[in-house]
Amino acid sequence: MPKQRVMVVGGGLAGLAATMRFAEMGIPVDLMSLTPVKRSHSVCAQGGINSVNDQTRQLGDSEWKHFDDTVYGGDFLQHQPPVHEMALWAPRIIDLMDRLGVPFNRTPEGYRDQRRFGGTLYKRTAFSGATTGQQLLYALDEQVRRWEAEGLVTKYEFWDFLGPILDDNGICRGCVGQNLTDMEIRSFPADAVVLATGGCGLIYGRSTMSMACNGSAVSRAFQHGALYGNGEFVQVHPTAVPGADKLRLMSESARGEGGRVWVPRKPQDPRDPREIPEAERYFFLEERYPAYGNLVPRDIATREIFNVCIYEGLSVEKERPCVYLDLTHLPRTTLDLKLGGILEIYEKFQGVDPRDVPMKIFPAVHYTMGGLWADYERTSEGRLDIGSPKNQATNIPGLFAIGECDYQYHGANRLGANSLLSCIFSGLIVAPGIENLLKSSSHGASDDQPSSLWNAAQEKYQQEHDALLNRSGGGENPYLIHQELGETMTKAATVVRHNRDLSAALEKVRELQERTSRCSLSDTGNWTNQNVVFTKALQDMFPLAKTILEGALARDECRGAHFKPDFTMPGIEAEDPAERRREAEKWCDRFAENTKKWLKSTVAECGTDSEPKLRYEDVDTSLIPPRPRLYGLVGAEVIEEVWKERVAAGSQATSSRPNGEKAEATKHSPSTVG
Amino acid sequence: MISPAKQSIPDVFDVRILRQDGPGEKSYWERHRVTHQPDMNVISVLQQIAARAETEEGKKVSPVAWDCNCLEEVCGACTMLVNGRTRQACSALVDNLLQEQPDGIELRPMSKFPVVRDLVVQRDRLFRALKKVKAWVSVDGYFDRGPGPQQSPADQQTAYPLSQCMSCGCCLEACPQYTKIEVTRREGESEADFKKREAAAFDRGFIGAHAISQAILFNIHPTGKMNAGERLDALTSEGGLQICGNAQNCVAVCPKSIPLTTSIARAGRATTLHSLKKFFDR
Amino acid sequence: MTDSQPSPSFLARHEFLIRRLHSLSGLIPVGAYMVVHLLTNASVLAGAATFQANVDRIHSLGPILPLVEWTFIFIPILFHAILGVAFIWGAVPNTSDYPYSSNIRYMLQRATGMIAFAFIAFHIWHLHKYGEPFGGGAFDPHHATSTAGTAIQSALWIQLAYAVGVLACVYHLANGIWTMGITWGVWTSSEAQRKASYACGGFGVLLAVVGLAALSGFRMVDVEEAAAVEDRLETHRKIAEGEVAWGEEESTEEGSETSGDSPDVSSP
Repeated sequence: MPKQRVMVVGGGLAGLAATMRFAEMGIPVDLMSLTPVKRSHSVCAQGGINSVNDQTRQLGDSEWKHFDDTVYGGDFLQHQPPVHEMALWAPRIIDLMDRLGVPFNRTPEGYRDQRRFGGTLYKRTAFSGATTGQQLLYALDEQVRRWEAEGLVTKYEFWDFLGPILDDNGICRGCVGQNLTDMEIRSFPADAVVLATGGCGLIYGRSTMSMACNGSAVSRAFQHGALYGNGEFVQVHPTAVPGADKLRLMSESARGEGGRVWVPRKPQDPRDPREIPEAERYFFLEERYPAYGNLVPRDIATREIFNVCIYEGLSVEKERPCVYLDLTHLPRTTLDLKLGGILEIYEKFQGVDPRDVPMKIFPAVHYTMGGLWADYERTSEGRLDIGSPKNQATNIPGLFAIGECDYQYHGANRLGANSLLSCIFSGLIVAPGIENLLKSSSHGASDDQPSSLWNAAQEKYQQEHDALLNRSGGGENPYLIHQELGETMTKAATVVRHNRDLSAALEKVRELQERTSRCSLSDTGNWTNQNVVFTKALQDMFPLAKTILEGALARDECRGAHFKPDFTMPGIEAEDPAERRREAEKWCDRFAENTKKWLKSTVAECGTDSEPKLRYEDVDTSLIPPRPRLYGLVGAEVIEEVWKERVAAGSQATSSRPNGEKAEATKHSPSTVG
Repeated sequence: MISPAKQSIPDVFDVRILRQDGPGEKSYWERHRVTHQPDMNVISVLQQIAARAETEEGKKVSPVAWDCNCLEEVCGACTMLVNGRTRQACSALVDNLLQEQPDGIELRPMSKFPVVRDLVVQRDRLFRALKKVKAWVSVDGYFDRGPGPQQSPADQQTAYPLSQCMSCGCCLEACPQYTKIEVTRREGESEADFKKREAAAFDRGFIGAHAISQAILFNIHPTGKMNAGERLDALTSEGGLQICGNAQNCVAVCPKSIPLTTSIARAGRATTLHSLKKFFDR
Repeated sequence: MTDSQPSPSFLARHEFLIRRLHSLSGLIPVGAYMVVHLLTNASVLAGAATFQANVDRIHSLGPILPLVEWTFIFIPILFHAILGVAFIWGAVPNTSDYPYSSNIRYMLQRATGMIAFAFIAFHIWHLHKYGEPFGGGAFDPHHATSTAGTAIQSALWIQLAYAVGVLACVYHLANGIWTMGITWGVWTSSEAQRKASYACGGFGVLLAVVGLAALSGFRMVDVEEAAAVEDRLETHRKIAEGEVAWGEEESTEEGSETSGDSPDVSSP
């Protein structure tokens, strides 16, 4: 039997989780990454990781409710079986990470401590100081190092994924990579290629993402025919600290631990924030959303902060929009214990102690819900068939996508502390499916492929590379074009979107793409040439940028992180009960109509001209029927009332599962985490 | 904006960079002029230099190569010598640097690791040391076995700081006992043979504070403890803990304020007892 | 893993043990000997007879003294010093870039080690009988105070050399005890290390006082007067041992044994 091996591209949580599982199964893994895997972007995740736990369970929480919160938070735009499965696995994933040595914060009795995060009413989030992502990543990095020492994992760090290698039947047989040190281009035969390359925040110039999050690997797969789903859904984190090189995340946990968001009632009040009396502070989230207060879901917090600054003119500073995120009322010892890490970051980069002075924050691009389209195998009970090679598979056979670079788990918006979970979960479940794929005879082995396949692929990229190095001066500067791209995208496609802006941005992006083809390199050598690597990544940002813009332009509605003021559904203003009722009925009609029209995933295919072609895919909402998201809407009560009546009347046939049924959850508990 | 005593920051300032085109090549200084912007750090300085790719004298040059990723001091990539001192470039704020040294900023690659190009160095030795001390919990497998062992908050608070080590290499750069090991590939030597020879050379050199601290981290973990002896054996092998000369620079330069010297002393105690036990048990 | 690698050398295989023995030898016996040595020397302040008595006690070992000297003093010092120099060789001091106090102490530990090595070699040449063939060896154990005093008083540079040498040794020992406490894991937390550094500092200051007191004792001693005392003591000793016939004096059997006798009392 020919020797089979798997290539994992990207060494963040998802890639490492998958690598570790493959190694455990005895499948040799090549692990390719732009940076040493321990330096992957997952380290930036601060807040925590969600799962139902013994404590919340006794307060009425269940896997089902976690699942419900996730799909509700995502505005029902995700296929429900994988999300359901993820919620079921969550407690076991945390247990596993606990066993791997993650120093989760502890209760006095020695159990894992939990905190509350946005979009839920339960303390569901396990955390490790304020560097949970770092701690989780390190635990997986350590396991992968262990397998590396055993010889089952070969790391290719400082390698760039240039593209998948497809055979004549369109099956992925490996990939081409480039060594970032000596610029060698090499083909890597593999029986399956798993992309775990994260988000593409760099398309927005400055974001909260790391410099490796340029989306190039995903874009290269996209340009080879992989489909891209829900591109227009880009999460903007409500609280980031503006900086010259990047926007630094201020974790939601700052609000979870009691941080309050406010602006002075008097616009640009020149007083020291500490001297502004409580009555003259406008705690706009608490006033507008009394139930959730400062812990409203991210999209709402983002929009409110944006509105307060941009439309209501209440920004703390005049020249630069920002609001206060205030922790100064909390005891220092609590802050040091629970938020030490993130507060140090603020102090380090702003030179001010947030324990004494309120922080200044503003929203920033943070997470791409969209990503490579990925499949799954549904069981009749609405769960995932673990072990099916369809799970996490892209439309290119043999090519898989996991972690932030797939589109599967977060729909139109991601719940806080769910990303770490989805990354580890998708990494863990991709492995058994691929193991079965490798066992099946139909797939064939990469070893049996003619060597011409590898040589041709290598040759093609080598020629492209040489051509780029030798391109004679068009005078354009890739770094400046990237800045322009970032500004264009940030203006048109973040918090608030208008069709005219999106159209203009599309034009601009096409122009920038054309200019990029005239970039001349300031470094034409073949040793650690970061200039050429950056230029290649820039070229590959345009297909994704256009996918984001086209998707946003086409989607004439508001859903999750995608907000178009021209297509909002205003609340109920009427006073008269009958009139209110009538308006609510109308609201619900419109909602149902909109759901019918737009509860669909955008699926983009890359044309030969790198222009995306959109189509739409129905969403599997068989487990929890879509319902309106009414956070903070005026007249929410009456709408909810009408909606409930309709649900009760309409769908008695489809016996709706009572929420949070504990027996349900345990009956189908997966027997293993891996 | 906060400290009123701040001197006026110039509109432009000089940045001196020690460049090197590749391993074994001669290094040389290059001067760049950078325009000041608010909230600038050394990364944004290097970004500007890359975009301009022109020295102070107006000579076109290739962009300076450097390593970075997260830009919030948690990934450990961007370590370099800023004004002679090892630190992360991302948290080196330009205004503070110009306060300390108004005539400009000086950037050099780390001196204890082989230079790949300009400010990029090869830090494989650092990760090799983590393998040597078996810095992991040897779990049976990744299937569901319930939660990990119960731990007191005090134990968690001992472990957590050690677990924040991001393998940046500052402790090694500042350590007078840690000396550079650069292995070059021989003519006709295969990649695999070269890597093997390099790893063996790394293993003979000082393991470094970071790895000693990781050994302690896993030796205090309730499960990790089960392999404590193996880690102590690694710490007492060639290039181990005994090389430490107690200069304690490691703890002074650690960007994460990890109590490295406490880890070293704890390792000292553990290896003392371990060696005695081994001696009398044989 | 190790199949194609050459097997490590003896020194490499036992690096940990060797380094630990190096650390240990600095305290026991070298450091301990140094403390005793300095205290003995300081007894010169109590008068030539006291010091002579102390010296005599050491020399009462007679023919086995060289064995004791080599086993407990010279070999350990050579072991400690030669390895120490070898260890210093591999390091790269960097106090100019990292001027932290602990780093300066680290650098001083190495500098004082080198000074101490040179000083001890000089000291042995200068006073010990092994230095005699090379023009040194000024010390006569039967005329301890007067010969040592003469040697010390012979030149200002000698006094300075002794001052520097003694202080270097004292620093090296005191700081060495502090680092040893970390190396062996006696004080582990930074708080404990801080407290230990005060204790070691205090010990160092005391020992420096003792050392310098001894030096000033030899510098100030009246050589002729001391020689007279020593001659008399020598006579007593010889009488006691029967080398000389019974004289006009009473026997002072305990004169060779005890050190408490004041020379004034027993003068004729």
